[in-house]
Amino acid sequence: MKILVCVKHVMESESKIRINDSRKWVEYSSSTRFEMNKFDTYAIEEALLIKERFADSRIHAISIGPDHARDTLRRALGMGADEGIHIKDKNIGFRPPLLTASWIAAYAKNKGYNLILTGIMSDDEMNAQTGPMIAQILSIPCCTATIYEKISPDKKMVSVEREIEGGARDGFDIKLPCVLTIQTGINCPRYPALSKVLRAKKKELEVIDSNSFDEIKQGLTLKSIRSPKKKMKGIFLEGTREDKMDQLMDILGKQALFQ
Amino acid sequence: MTKKIAIIVEHNAGELKPIIYELLSMAQKIMTLEECKITLFIIGEGIDKLSQSISIETGHDIYAVHTPGFLKYNGSLYKEIFSKLFTKKKFDYICAPHSTSGMDYAPALSVALQSVCISSVEDVLVEDGKIYFFRSMFGEKLSAKFVNGPNPLVMTIQPGSFKPFFPKKEKTGKAKTGAITRMVYKCNENTMVFTGSKVSPCKSSELDKADVIVSGGRGIGEAQNYKYIEMLAKLFPRSATGASRPICDYGWVKYSKQVGITGTFVSPKLYIACGISGSNQHVEGIKNSKFIVAINSDRQAPVFQIADVCIVEDAIEFIRLFVKKFKKEKLITQGLEKAAIKASARMKN
Repeated sequence: MKILVCVKHVMESESKIRINDSRKWVEYSSSTRFEMNKFDTYAIEEALLIKERFADSRIHAISIGPDHARDTLRRALGMGADEGIHIKDKNIGFRPPLLTASWIAAYAKNKGYNLILTGIMSDDEMNAQTGPMIAQILSIPCCTATIYEKISPDKKMVSVEREIEGGARDGFDIKLPCVLTIQTGINCPRYPALSKVLRAKKKELEVIDSNSFDEIKQGLTLKSIRSPKKKMKGIFLEGTREDKMDQLMDILGKQALFQ
Repeated sequence: MTKKIAIIVEHNAGELKPIIYELLSMAQKIMTLEECKITLFIIGEGIDKLSQSISIETGHDIYAVHTPGFLKYNGSLYKEIFSKLFTKKKFDYICAPHSTSGMDYAPALSVALQSVCISSVEDVLVEDGKIYFFRSMFGEKLSAKFVNGPNPLVMTIQPGSFKPFFPKKEKTGKAKTGAITRMVYKCNENTMVFTGSKVSPCKSSELDKADVIVSGGRGIGEAQNYKYIEMLAKLFPRSATGASRPICDYGWVKYSKQVGITGTFVSPKLYIACGISGSNQHVEGIKNSKFIVAINSDRQAPVFQIADVCIVEDAIEFIRLFVKKFKKEKLITQGLEKAAIKASARMKN
C-alpha cells in the first residue's frame, strides 16, 4: 500500500487567541507554540496500523506551510511515517481549503497512491473540506468521518464505517484508490519513538515551492475576524471562590434538586 | 435580476429533518438584499409523500430525484446526481445542512461546479449592498467574515444557528403549492456500495433518564480526576455522569458517556459542564437542558454562551471544595434538624 497522509501544522489548540493588526488572522508571537493538527494524528496512526497489516506499505506525510511546518512532518516521521513532503508556502494566514486541496492533489496525481488519509478537520479553520476536495479533484471516491477501515487482502477495496448523527454508523465498500478523512477515536495515536525521532531529525524532506503550482482562481475572500458576538443568556458568578460556592449552593438549593 | 437559491432537503427514510426550516430562515436573510427564487431538492427512495407535503407547506418548487434501491445516504451517488443537476440548472446559492452528509458532499460539489464552498455558516448579514457570511474558527473562539465573488456559492449551515422560519400559509384563497418535478435516477454507482448500518455504541439510557447530568471535559486534566465528577453527581438524586468527546477519545471514560451530536442528546433539569470548552458538537447535544451550569478556567470558553450560571474557576478544584462544603453543611443541617426534633420532643414532655 502506498499511503499519503495530509497533516497540518497549527497553533496549539489551547493557546490564547489574539487577533493580528490586519484583523484577518491571529497574532503569532515568538512564544506561540505549534503542533500537528490533533485530528491528523489519528490519520497518521491509522496509516501506521495499515502498515502493520501490509508490511510492504510506504507512508508519505505531506504538509503545507512556512519553514516551521517541517516540525509537524518530523513528528509524523517520528511516529513512523517513511517520507515527508513539505509544500513551502510563505503566506501566513487564511488559506482557502480549495488551494490546499489543489496543491496536494497536484502533488499526488500519477504517483500511485492507493490511499489518501487526513483528519476530519483542522483545529484552526475547522472547514472539513480539504479531504473531500482532494478526492473530487482526483476523481476518486471519498469517505468522511471514517471510524473503521479494513482493506481487502487483494488491496482493491476498503470496507469502512462512517460515523453519522447520534454516533450510529453506515458501512460502505469503497474501491481503491480513495480518500478517507479520519474521525477521532478510531485509534489511539502513538507518541513518537526516540529512535525514530533521531532518524527523523536527519531525514531529508522533499521540498516543493507553492509557487510551482498553477494559479487557482479563488472567489472567496476572508474580510475580517473578530471575537464571536456574545449571545450570553446567563450570569457570571463573581467574588472569591468561596463566594461562588455559596451562590451556586443557593441557586441549586432553590431548584430543590439535591439529595 | 432574480437570484436562485437551491435548498437541499435532508430526510431520514422519508421523514423530514427539521433543519430545513433553518435553511429557509437563512434564505430569508439573503432575500432582504436581493430578490430570490427558492427551489428545493430531495434525493432518495420513497420520497413522494414528503415531496408533496413540503411543496404544499413551503410553496416552493421541488425536484425529487428517486433513487430506487438507495435508501441511505451514499456520498458518491449524491455527488454524481448533484453535479449533473447543478451543471444543467445554475444556482447562485446551493445550501445544505452541516450534517454528516452535508459536510461530505458539499465541498466536493463545489469543486465539481468550479464554485466556492463555505462550511458551517452561522450567520448572514447584509451590509452596504453586500452579503457577508460568518463562521467560527479556532475552537469557536473566533468568528470569520467572508464575502464571495461572482462564482456560485455552495454552503453548509450550522444546525442551531438560524431561528427556524415556517412559511406562512396564505390565509385567503387557494394556498400556493410548489410544482413537483419527479425524476428517477438509474444508479450504476459501484465505487461506493452501502453495506449496512450499525446502531451507535455510544447511546446511554442512563443519560436519557437522568434529571441531573454532571459532565467532564479536557479541563479536568487527567483521567483519575473524573472521580470528582462522579462525587458531584452523587449529591443529586436521579443523576448521571457524562463527558465531552475528547475525553472519550483519550480513553478516560467509555463512549457511552459521550454527550453531543455524535453521542447522546440530553435534556435534563440540570446540566453541569465541568472543564468543557463547549464545541458545537457538545453544545448541540445539551441545549435542551432546562438549566446549565458551566465551570471552566477560560472566561472565553464558548460554553459560557449557553450556560445559565457561569463560573470561571479550575473545575476540579472547585468541585472538590464544593462537595466538601456541601457535605459539611448537610451535616450541620442534619444536626440542627436532630436538635430541633429533640427539643420539640422535650417540649411535649
